[in-house]
Amino acid sequence: ACGGGDSEESTGGEEANGGEEANGGEESNEESEGESSEGSGDGEFEEQEWQIVTEELQGEVQYEYAAEFASRIEEKTDGAITVEPLEYGALGSEVNQAQLLQQGGVEMAVMSPGFTGGQVPDGQIFSLHYFFPADPELTQEVLTNSEALNTDLRAKYEEHNISPLSFWTEGSMAWTSNVGIESPSDWEGLNMRVQESPLMRETYDAYGATVQSLSWGELYTALDRETVDAQENPLFFIESASFHEVQDTVTISNHNNYIAMTTVNTDWYNGLSDAEKDLIDETVAEMQEWVFDEQKQQNEAGLQAIEEDTEIIRLTDEQIAEFKEAAEPVHEFYRNEVEGIDPDLYDKLKEEIAEITGE
Amino acid sequence: MLTTLITIMAIFLLLNFPMMIPLILGPLIVMLVYNSTVTMDLLMGQLLTGIESPVLLCVPLFIFAADIMTAGKTSERLLDFVGAFVGHIRGGYAVTTAASCTMFGAISGSTQATVVAVGRPMRERLLKVGYKDSSAMALIINSSDVALLIPPSIGMIIYALAAGSGVSVGDLFIAGIIPGIIVFLAFATYSIVYAKVKDIPLAPKANWSERFKYFRKALLPLGFPILIVGGIYKGWFTPVEASGISVLYALILEVLIYRTIPFKKIPSIALSTGLVTSAVFILVAGGQLFTWVLGYAQIPQQITEAVLGSDPSALYVLIIVSIFFFIGCMFVDPIVVILILTPIFVPAATAADVNLIHLGIIVTFQAALGSATPPFGVDIFTASAVFKKPYWEVIKSTPPYIIMLLAIGALLILFPELSLVLID
Amino acid sequence: MNIVKVIFQKVDRAFMKLEEFILSFSIILIAIMIVGNVIAREVFNSGAFYFAYEVSKFAIVIATFMGIGYAARKGRHISMSAFYDFAPFKVRKVMMIIINFVTAIIMFVMAYYTYQYVMFEYNTGAITTSLQLPRYLMAVFLPIGFLVAGIQFLRNTFVNFTKKASDKVYLGTDAVDYNDDKDKDVKLEDISSI
Ligand code: NA
Ligand code: NA
Repeated sequence: ACGGGDSEESTGGEEANGGEEANGGEESNEESEGESSEGSGDGEFEEQEWQIVTEELQGEVQYEYAAEFASRIEEKTDGAITVEPLEYGALGSEVNQAQLLQQGGVEMAVMSPGFTGGQVPDGQIFSLHYFFPADPELTQEVLTNSEALNTDLRAKYEEHNISPLSFWTEGSMAWTSNVGIESPSDWEGLNMRVQESPLMRETYDAYGATVQSLSWGELYTALDRETVDAQENPLFFIESASFHEVQDTVTISNHNNYIAMTTVNTDWYNGLSDAEKDLIDETVAEMQEWVFDEQKQQNEAGLQAIEEDTEIIRLTDEQIAEFKEAAEPVHEFYRNEVEGIDPDLYDKLKEEIAEITGE
Repeated sequence: MLTTLITIMAIFLLLNFPMMIPLILGPLIVMLVYNSTVTMDLLMGQLLTGIESPVLLCVPLFIFAADIMTAGKTSERLLDFVGAFVGHIRGGYAVTTAASCTMFGAISGSTQATVVAVGRPMRERLLKVGYKDSSAMALIINSSDVALLIPPSIGMIIYALAAGSGVSVGDLFIAGIIPGIIVFLAFATYSIVYAKVKDIPLAPKANWSERFKYFRKALLPLGFPILIVGGIYKGWFTPVEASGISVLYALILEVLIYRTIPFKKIPSIALSTGLVTSAVFILVAGGQLFTWVLGYAQIPQQITEAVLGSDPSALYVLIIVSIFFFIGCMFVDPIVVILILTPIFVPAATAADVNLIHLGIIVTFQAALGSATPPFGVDIFTASAVFKKPYWEVIKSTPPYIIMLLAIGALLILFPELSLVLID
Repeated sequence: MNIVKVIFQKVDRAFMKLEEFILSFSIILIAIMIVGNVIAREVFNSGAFYFAYEVSKFAIVIATFMGIGYAARKGRHISMSAFYDFAPFKVRKVMMIIINFVTAIIMFVMAYYTYQYVMFEYNTGAITTSLQLPRYLMAVFLPIGFLVAGIQFLRNTFVNFTKKASDKVYLGTDAVDYNDDKDKDVKLEDISSI
């Protein structure tokens, strides 16, 4: 049972598991790229069944990812290993999926870094504004190649028996409001509904907005009746939750990305044969490109639907620079003040980002 | 596995164990025996998850507000007011009862509170003008059930929770308004006809200065639903937060303005609220454990396959749901029934394209109906205890009401618009 | 001997007062949080009550689990008493003894399992988002609540063997079966349901 996806220990974006109706659930992933199936057949793999649980519904990015992953694994092993993708709620609507994975209730999970209940405070780094590149393509590049994330942050999750095998974007976050947010000063006096945390308070305080805590199940009505003035989510989710119906404007702000991780239970993964580990690692690596295209397509479709009745504001580079300037002190706050943060990881990631953006 | 689960739960239920025991023990044993890979920690975590939803916060607050008003004079002011206007017409006191229950239901979320707050003073008035005790009690029990349909409604909140995401409590509240009014109108009509046939004597007609006096005295309680609905509409507060505003308003009314409750009595009222909250919420916690195990073991699919077949129509789903909830609530407390049956039927309802708000109205309605229906509906026992009347006396005059409610139930199934027209 | 009894009674009263304080204070706290949050937002346009929902969550958890024992003492747990109510005195007596005893055992088992769960939460180091408090602080009320409830259900069992219970069935140490106490005035606070 749940009051509407309020399992939100998320610090990142809004849970796309607020779970409005699954949009269609079209499955476009029967054929896979079909390359690289070395070591398939020949009974190299024992018959196994894995489950991969996601925080989203059929048709949404995480689920489609899991389904595509499943079909690739099955093909590569000639059906010896089958993977069952599970949509949000398949294991009881309010199950804490991170805990389920930690305890080996499932082998794999797609989850957002914030859903681990603050066990890894460094997961909050993804919710910093204008820390990662504003261009999602560059962000995906950082996520794929960063040693700070794929080695150092992974190690921190592994202390909790969760191994993130990859990080990827589900699209950048957008702000919805009635005022049309174009510069930091537009935030002055607004009530922003976002998952409450010290970092979020500091973040929106930097723009002059107030963070309001409000139960997730009441957000739609609260936006409609102007109990709160603004909220943030990825485009495809704004569309599926119909927030644009009750908001006049959507600002494509690119202030951060909604990040997902492909994770496995650490003990389980370490107990696999080398061939099985390679199989998973290789498939996860291939999926980075696939999922980038998938989210892009879904977010563009979402944007198109939103555009029909809501004004879209695309920030110019100058406007983004203005926001970035306002947001930067919060990066320092995060590095120095937020409980349990590893400053070295922050510094290393910052350097890696600078390398990629060439700043 | 399903048989084990049902057997364990049925045995402990029928033996009069506290209902938290079957709710917790059933799923626990099933998981221990059939799914030992799932750790106990995960299951225990569900007990917390179940009561963590912010939407649930309005349950204690609505109960608190109702407790304050019951301890004070709010309900009697409403009775005096309605009585002054319609008391003199044929069946006027019965209509007053139905109307006052509806109004009190609109400011409290609870059937039981309505039975106590409105039923007790109203029964005395009904007896005085010549009603038989059994017909007075039947009227009170059934009118109080409207409280479950008129917002705010604790039954609806628990349904929304059990139905999962995508079901807004606010929408449910609005959807309940027309069905609630239909029930009131049916009862009022019946009361007038009954009074004509039985030739119940007329009460004296109030003059306009009396009417004005009672209107003035009832003004602030009457402002209650207006403030709540208006405040939600204006965006001052959300439906959940409205429960807190109810408490504030009730306190201002009873403690500051009318001074019917001394300030130092508030903790003892809160204690009684806390006790009910604990008794209800331990069931909600256990209900989440139960729901989780159901989902994990894919039991809803098994049950709905068996009961509904593979591709049931929306109408068929609604009829089956009605029967299950009606019968369930005839025996077991509506909270428990809603917690147990909702997650079982929601997947099938979704698959059959049943609107979940519409389903919520059907569920709440049947829960209200079932809990007023013999043999074991909880309202009957409440009335029996509150009015100190034997069981038989309490149920003797209920059949006409049950028949009316069954007919309205059928209307609500056949015409989803009755529930849905007010939401967009 | 008498002294022991007096001390026991005093401790029992004090503990009951504590339970009552916890229950009523939790409810009042939730009301203050929710109303405070609305006023802060609507009147002062402020997020000063940012902790409102989290504090309320703590309060509801505390009220729920610390209330199990108190509700048992008052015989106020919701149950399906239809068949029980029609049973003769002796059957009711035996049933109430068995029900309370078995329930006590189940409560102790739950106290054990939830204690394990607290240790699990403790080891994960999970914290709450708003106040950044360790989550095990919330979980800790589960084993405490079940333990207290277990003890109370045991006491409910034994009270039915005492002399004062020779002609009455006790639902809880402070609650005579309504079937044996027909004259008692039933108030709203005696009804636990919606
Ligand atoms: Na909901
Ligand atoms: Na109501």
